[in-house]
Amino acid sequence: MASLEILSPVANVVEQSVKPAPRLRDLGHATIGLYWNMKAGGDAALDRTEQLLRERFPGARFKRYTGSVGWLMRHCTAEDADRIAAEVDAVVGTTND
Amino acid sequence: MVELERRGVPTVIITAEAFVQDARRSAQSFGLAGLPLAVVPTPLTNRRPEDIHRMVTEAFDQVVAGLTRPVEACADVGRPAVEERLTYDGPDLLDAWSRMNRDFLARGWSDGFPLVAPTGRAVEAMLRGSARDPGEVIATLEPGFGVATVEKLAINAVMAGGGPEHLPLLVAAVRCLAEPKMYLRNKAMSTGPHAPLVLVNGPKGRAANLNAGMCALGPGAPSASNTVLGRAVRLTMMNVGHTYVGVSDMDTIGSPLKYSLACAENEAQSPWEPYHVARGYAREASTVTVHFVYGICELHDFRSTRPEDLIQVFATAATNVAQVGTALWLIGRRADPRYKTEEREHNTLFVCPEHAQIFAGEGWDRARIQQALYKTARLPFRTLMLNKEPKALQAAHPELGWLADHPDLPLPVVETPDCFEIAVVGGAAGRGAYFYGAGEPVTMPVED
Repeated sequence: MASLEILSPVANVVEQSVKPAPRLRDLGHATIGLYWNMKAGGDAALDRTEQLLRERFPGARFKRYTGSVGWLMRHCTAEDADRIAAEVDAVVGTTND
Repeated sequence: MVELERRGVPTVIITAEAFVQDARRSAQSFGLAGLPLAVVPTPLTNRRPEDIHRMVTEAFDQVVAGLTRPVEACADVGRPAVEERLTYDGPDLLDAWSRMNRDFLARGWSDGFPLVAPTGRAVEAMLRGSARDPGEVIATLEPGFGVATVEKLAINAVMAGGGPEHLPLLVAAVRCLAEPKMYLRNKAMSTGPHAPLVLVNGPKGRAANLNAGMCALGPGAPSASNTVLGRAVRLTMMNVGHTYVGVSDMDTIGSPLKYSLACAENEAQSPWEPYHVARGYAREASTVTVHFVYGICELHDFRSTRPEDLIQVFATAATNVAQVGTALWLIGRRADPRYKTEEREHNTLFVCPEHAQIFAGEGWDRARIQQALYKTARLPFRTLMLNKEPKALQAAHPELGWLADHPDLPLPVVETPDCFEIAVVGGAAGRGAYFYGAGEPVTMPVED
């Protein structure tokens, strides 16, 4: 019987932790942000999302966003995130691929 | 979305079934594994609006739940457990080694080829290639925020089949990968086939017996050192950066270039200053440059004897709209808002020595080749926009709205002439290589 002892190639990771935001009790009076990263099809998905949310929550209001930097994908900067957080109560986004 | 959650805004992401694990791993890396998802059966790309509407309708309850129900803690999404030592038993050592390879494959730690066993003795020998402390942290590698100690790099270099001479080169390559401007997270996780092209300049490359000549990127004994170095970079991306296929590397097709893609510049047969000197390093310095590339196109021309004619041929490789980076400048720049970095899309040309001599013989330097390619490699606006989102053009360049009225206007395929990187590589005969790049290359010095 032979035994081969080897060293693990896998690195430890730097763990990060973010507390999730409190969820909303009701979307009926919420302002909801719809964030499109500009990947194809995401705009159509958010169009339908807005339509369905309007039907179920007639009092909801909507704001559209995309990131201010990027190329195939447009990303949120810290300033974008601050602005969105100040303007809406919740956000629906798309990733696509 | 995690940044919005951090700011107290509840979010939900609409994503495809195929990308759920990727989304969860990504959210976990940023500290919120339970980030709510609304899952649709297929990606939204290449779908008719009515099909997208139907999928969203079916996922709508998940959207509402994601914004209103408490976020559940999500189990660990496959982040590999870290055991510092592992033991494999068998009737003999060869059998034990086979078991190690099977286990590494099952854990996702292998590139698919047999690995050299990273025994304590082998790793100790590898570490002699560097004056650094084994515990020194070279970088934290994305997408998994893995801690790249010298020892972990040495272990992966052993697995790749490397020797001590490769360790300083790997350390420099990892420093390139970790540079914020590299935006490794994007290139490692993308659905595109991003492969790290590693180009070595200077005496350390020659000492490591890297091939710069015939079949420098090919298989066989002349390029064995190249193969090992490129493989070590890939294994490091996997096991240190935690770039694992199907979990945090969502490449649609993949590419053989991702196994290993490394060589040295053929400085001895170059009529120009070495590539690293053009990038600001001293001639006697050794450097490693990493440029992520999507694919490769041959630059074949046995007939031309004038630079202008070679440029015409080279430009046909550059004008390939099916390649994502072609004229990507029209819809913005690759950007990582965390570090406020932006990259232009560069492409790397490996000019073979014979073609290089034709250019140099007529007094052409790199800058003149770049200018000539910039002027020649153009396509009509309408052709360049065939696979690009018009609204992205509007967002990136509102000042270019007038182009819609000039669809046949020829436009350059890159943002500026210096987006063509030029190095001399290869053996005899007029065949070079054009690499379709992803973002910009990064160069780091090789230090012991």
